[in-house]
Amino acid sequence: MRKLIGLAAAAIVLAGAAAQAQDTPRKGGTIRMTAPYAASFGSLDPHTTPRAQDDIVNKALQRTLYNWDTKEGKLVLELAKSVTPSEDGLTYTYKLRDDAYFHNGRKMTADDIIWSYTRLMDGSKGYPGARYVRIVKGAVEVEKGQAKEIAGLKKIDDFTLEMTLTDRVDPGYSFFVGSTAILPKEEVEKGDFASRPVGLGPFKFKEHIPGSRVVAERWDKFYKPGKPYADKLEVLIMAEAAARDVAFRNKEIDTSILGPAQYVVYREDPQLSKGILEVAEMFTRAMTFNHSHKPFDDKRVRQAINYAIDADLIIKRLVKDKAYRAVSWLPLSSPAFDKSVKPYPYDPEKAKKLLAEAGLPNGFEFELTTSQNESWGLPIVEAIIPMLAKVGIKLKPKLVEVTVLTDIAMKGEHQAYIGSNLTGPDSLTTMRCYYSKTPRTACNYTGYSNPAFDKLFEQAAASVDVAKRNDLLRQANNLVYDDAPIWFFNYNKAVLAYQPWIHGLQANPTEITHQYPEDVWVDDRSPAK
Amino acid sequence: MRLGANTYVGGALVGLALTVAILAPWIALYDPVMDANLMNAELPPSWEFPFGTDAQGRDIYSRIVYGARISLTVGIVSQMCNSLIGVTLGLTAGFWGGWWDDVVSGLTNLMLAIPSLVFALAIMAILGPGLVSLVIALGLTAWSYSCRIARAQVLSLKSQGYIQAARILGYGDLRIMFTQVLPNILGPLIVIATLGMGGAILSEAALSFLGLGIRPPFPSWGSMLSEARDQIRAAPWLSVFPGLAIFLTVLGLNLLGDGLRDILDPQSTTRRA
Amino acid sequence: MLLVLGRRLFNVIPTLLAVIALVFLLFSVLPGSFISGMNEDGRSAIDPAVMERMRKEMGLDDPLPERFAKYVAHTVTGDLGISFRTREPVTKLIGARVWPSLKLVLAAMVFAVCVGVTLGFVAALKPGSLIDTVSMVGAISGLSLSQFWFGLMLMYLFALQLNWLPSFGYGDGGLRNLILPAVALGVGPMALLARTTRAAVLDVLNADFVRTARSKGMSERLVVKWHVLRNALVLVITIVGLQVGSLMGQAVVVEKLFSWPGIGSLMVDSVFQRDMPAVQGCILMIVLFFLAINTLVDMAYVAIDPRIRYR
Repeated sequence: MRKLIGLAAAAIVLAGAAAQAQDTPRKGGTIRMTAPYAASFGSLDPHTTPRAQDDIVNKALQRTLYNWDTKEGKLVLELAKSVTPSEDGLTYTYKLRDDAYFHNGRKMTADDIIWSYTRLMDGSKGYPGARYVRIVKGAVEVEKGQAKEIAGLKKIDDFTLEMTLTDRVDPGYSFFVGSTAILPKEEVEKGDFASRPVGLGPFKFKEHIPGSRVVAERWDKFYKPGKPYADKLEVLIMAEAAARDVAFRNKEIDTSILGPAQYVVYREDPQLSKGILEVAEMFTRAMTFNHSHKPFDDKRVRQAINYAIDADLIIKRLVKDKAYRAVSWLPLSSPAFDKSVKPYPYDPEKAKKLLAEAGLPNGFEFELTTSQNESWGLPIVEAIIPMLAKVGIKLKPKLVEVTVLTDIAMKGEHQAYIGSNLTGPDSLTTMRCYYSKTPRTACNYTGYSNPAFDKLFEQAAASVDVAKRNDLLRQANNLVYDDAPIWFFNYNKAVLAYQPWIHGLQANPTEITHQYPEDVWVDDRSPAK
Repeated sequence: MRLGANTYVGGALVGLALTVAILAPWIALYDPVMDANLMNAELPPSWEFPFGTDAQGRDIYSRIVYGARISLTVGIVSQMCNSLIGVTLGLTAGFWGGWWDDVVSGLTNLMLAIPSLVFALAIMAILGPGLVSLVIALGLTAWSYSCRIARAQVLSLKSQGYIQAARILGYGDLRIMFTQVLPNILGPLIVIATLGMGGAILSEAALSFLGLGIRPPFPSWGSMLSEARDQIRAAPWLSVFPGLAIFLTVLGLNLLGDGLRDILDPQSTTRRA
Repeated sequence: MLLVLGRRLFNVIPTLLAVIALVFLLFSVLPGSFISGMNEDGRSAIDPAVMERMRKEMGLDDPLPERFAKYVAHTVTGDLGISFRTREPVTKLIGARVWPSLKLVLAAMVFAVCVGVTLGFVAALKPGSLIDTVSMVGAISGLSLSQFWFGLMLMYLFALQLNWLPSFGYGDGGLRNLILPAVALGVGPMALLARTTRAAVLDVLNADFVRTARSKGMSERLVVKWHVLRNALVLVITIVGLQVGSLMGQAVVVEKLFSWPGIGSLMVDSVFQRDMPAVQGCILMIVLFFLAINTLVDMAYVAIDPRIRYR
């Protein structure tokens, strides 16, 4: 008997130790991530590409001034140790890291930041990152060729940088974007940077097989002690969901983005369901009405449509629950999101009543511009058609390419269109879309104009106190929900399937595939050595 | 005149397709676009829904029945287009000869050098999707056969002196075309048109499958197959019925065309091999 | 032989030029701002100011004749332009896809010839029998099938239900991934080959029957058999030549269905993304293939039957 107890005790201790071992990051191994958005990488020069796909690799190879801290849900400094904003909120003084080394061995200084941002403003190249650097004073002049240097960027010393902005905004929202990465001038000027990138990231570039993968190795001089954990990182291109499914089941990859169809399958599988990471992304899907087109200028008509469509059913049946019902313009992760707001219930009778009140008892007809997208395009429209028909509204779909959708919205050529709108990470910039002074080409695609909203927004923009600002934004957000300038559909639920041996993945609401790989590690159950 | 089994079976199938298309509103059970209830999505075949339902909850049987209208319309109209263009070009090339003949030859070579589906794809890319662009695209790609037949016939008549004779008698070119040439090529033309219709229906299905033809929510057999592809694991019946419909219709047209060829074109001028 | 090749090539060149012209003209009409083809999924849109600059850079606002001249000059020297989508040279994009496409088409042809000719022979040797009827019904069905529906059914049966073969993709380039797409693509030509082989063999056999009735020994029968074979070969080659074109067209759909990384699926993707240069490049490549194979077919023709003269 005593022997048994002894054995049991030993077993428990061992199990405990094993469990402990699982929690301590293991140094070594290979992380295998997937790039699911396209069949190739655009460019490994981060300044030249705005694509989400390329950023997956650049989160490993490159660094920007700020990062997004998923745990806290906010921006944090990455390449600087501290920042001091001035009284008027226009000038920021950064104390930079002195332990950041490029992969060629050289230490990063303030010169590198100035050089990188200046490069971005080269007017002849059209770099996507330029729109982010434009908030710095003097940047536009460089872009137009009127100046050689950005006046608002001043080097105080090797590790102190002073940045003056043109507007009172938080520079972090601009400078955490991948296309504003800090690059070493001497490497870029060699000419083949896009095939041999060099950066400040935790992993060093090893090779790129076009159409197939990028391989990177641990950068031992990375400034976060003990990190990165893994020896190697591979980003494999797999644009087809079905291909990822097979590879995942064969244990050939560690992570895989799931589409709606696979979400259902994985959820119901007892093994696979244990490795699913979900996060509400910062995208609001909606049907945007053009208020210059009658009868969309009437609030009752817009609300009627919100009552007439059974959004929950569509989310459940067509999107396979891979979305959260939208109850406002701002997404779930926004600090100004009001959890207490109830969504428009499905009530066709009420819809008919509202239409009658608005003088349209027999309904009306309109054209809806849409794309092919399976989550917020044609299939959704097909489901909406009979629902609106029930209350007398005849919907005619007009199919366009998704790339043309933005064009149409900016020109105001639509009666209504259905699409996915970026609603983050800066809630203030996001709510600006409903500010009457915002032009249609910027993002006010509805043509919305409400003095009550304007007042709330202006107050929010002027307040320096974050809590007060968020409160005002919340009120503005709720006002917008009530006014129903759009049909509120859903917030995307990004779903990432992951293997049991990979740890440290972050639920990044800005883009779930953008993982900071220095925090990710694989235990020894991984088949990749 | 012995009609082979080919012709009967083919004729029956084509007749069935035509009947279904014409009588669609009466023999369909539901509205193919409006009767969509998400609660009924992806149900297997049953008494209520003979062929099952699709991802939007629509009855597949009704959609196939209405889809017949679209497929047959596309087939018939585009073939008429092709024949018209081909015959006009062929006749004029044969009659007037000279540089026009060279131009037509060049055009024919050009058309033969580009695979027809690729060409149709390119035209659809320009015109955008939809029924009208589809008919235009398909109507522009397959005229070479009728062109050749028409031209060959004119040349043959020319070499036999008929044309000369008719001209001496004072007949205008147009009259000659209609009274001398056309009656002789009508047989082969019908065969080509019948077989061509089958090809047009297959091309329409392919283009709609790729997403460039008839778009949802309208029921085209090809776009139904495209929607079915994603659900192949969960709801395989979605792929079977539209494909079967296409198969039977095209089979009918091919059999009929073959049979007609034995009657109308014993010299097999239309045999493509 | 060289003379034939030379003359053939000479005929091919004007056709090729005409195709280039046609392709260019067609696409200069293309509506929709293709620069927006740089977006993805409707996310991160590019600044309108930047787009304007890029339009000027790519010379998209130059007058039509100028653009055409530039296009022809570039194409002839092998520069097919820069893809709007990936900003890489189109030749690089296409280059990676040539081998998979070629493999698929060749495999389909091999399948079609082997199965089709065999079926045709067997059917001809026993005319009117059950085998004959079944083969011919099979053949005409093969012609009436939607290639991609057939492929879909094959995929369902062999890949998803029986799990014998992978359901899509190129894999590591091995044979297993090639089987389903090749069969799906080859079933059309196979059907045609079966029918025509049967007809040809029957023709020859009938004459043969009359002759062998009067024959006096093995040697004549051998000579006759060789004659049958040669006729059949000529026919097969003719059909291969005729079918290659439609095969390349149909390959587009089959490639898309099986996610086969060939030129066809590149073309479809590029059409959707409004990547003009890539679409143009694909069409040119496909036509080039087609013309090349036809030239080879013509040469093989002449090689096999020197009596065939060139008009």
